[in-house]
Amino acid sequence: MTAIEQSSDTGELVPAGAGHDAGHDPHATHSGVANAKLAMWLFLASDCLFFGAFIATYLLYRDRPGQTGPTPQDVYNIPFTSVTSFILLMSSLTMVLALAAVQRGDYRRFRVWIMATALFGATFIGGQIFEFTEFTREGLNVDTNLFGSSFFILTGIHGTHVLIGIVWLVALWGLSMQSRISQGDSERVEIAGLYWHFVDVVWIVIFTVIYLLPK
Amino acid sequence: MSDIETQAIEKSGHEPDLPQGDLAYRMAHPAPNLLPGEVRAHPDPWQYVVVAIVLAVITAVEIAVSYMEGDIPDGLIVVLLLAMMVVKFFLVASWFMHLRTDQPIFKRLFIVGAIAAPLLYLIVLATLHGVLAD
Repeated sequence: MTAIEQSSDTGELVPAGAGHDAGHDPHATHSGVANAKLAMWLFLASDCLFFGAFIATYLLYRDRPGQTGPTPQDVYNIPFTSVTSFILLMSSLTMVLALAAVQRGDYRRFRVWIMATALFGATFIGGQIFEFTEFTREGLNVDTNLFGSSFFILTGIHGTHVLIGIVWLVALWGLSMQSRISQGDSERVEIAGLYWHFVDVVWIVIFTVIYLLPK
Repeated sequence: MSDIETQAIEKSGHEPDLPQGDLAYRMAHPAPNLLPGEVRAHPDPWQYVVVAIVLAVITAVEIAVSYMEGDIPDGLIVVLLLAMMVVKFFLVASWFMHLRTDQPIFKRLFIVGAIAAPLLYLIVLATLHGVLAD
């Protein structure tokens, strides 16, 4: 059966989706692509280059000869980082379930999944703080050697991205609590989700290249 | 189909003038429940769960492979880990970020960034590694 919706500009009943035509849909664009979503993808494409610079710097500097202080082999705790990486990976699942919930108008489940995503992200950040504290205790600081500088800056910038994502998710949760997120606003949730998944894919690369590859 | 639905379809004036499989047709005539910018409907929640399970299994294998250092050649470990990393990257991008179902322009934009970054920095690494070693 064809779904029917009320046109936002004329008030007439039209088949769902018919209002997306240019000239009728208030969100229609000349390109036929949602501007906010396009902007987010452009940002993510540029952020690939941003993170690429720091990953390349790390690879270049981590084993420079003549460095004093702890080396990656001395400080990395692979089992611990594996657990926090797994938590961040699973937060992508809860994020996409939150989007699916808001798209079908299930706001209660949306709030549950979006808060679960934020909590997973907060757990990841907690793990990163613990890891940094342990490294400091073992004598590795941001100014100890080139490995320390490049490691802390790379993972710190990623952690900052995660923190921004958590704030964004909590804000969406708060808006939903005030009934200010509706099915029609799902694109806002999707854009936040794109950012969150990007943070996850960047960590997929960092985890493999920085922690797992043979030193 | 009820009368009100028939009336609404007549008012919309959506007469197919392109084959239904054509991208331009699907863009101009989105199926019900599609958001602007989507070409196909998003996967259902169970498909997301299956993708997450696959991601979890690949991560477990990655960690297991990293512990094989010394048992198998380092070169093989590097190849295996990078291959699994790429698979995970594309699983998240295509399923969770909906590059499979959204308009191709998003995919093109992201692929440019995702390919340009490693390409650019491989060149930088190859150049500077030699310079810094001197």
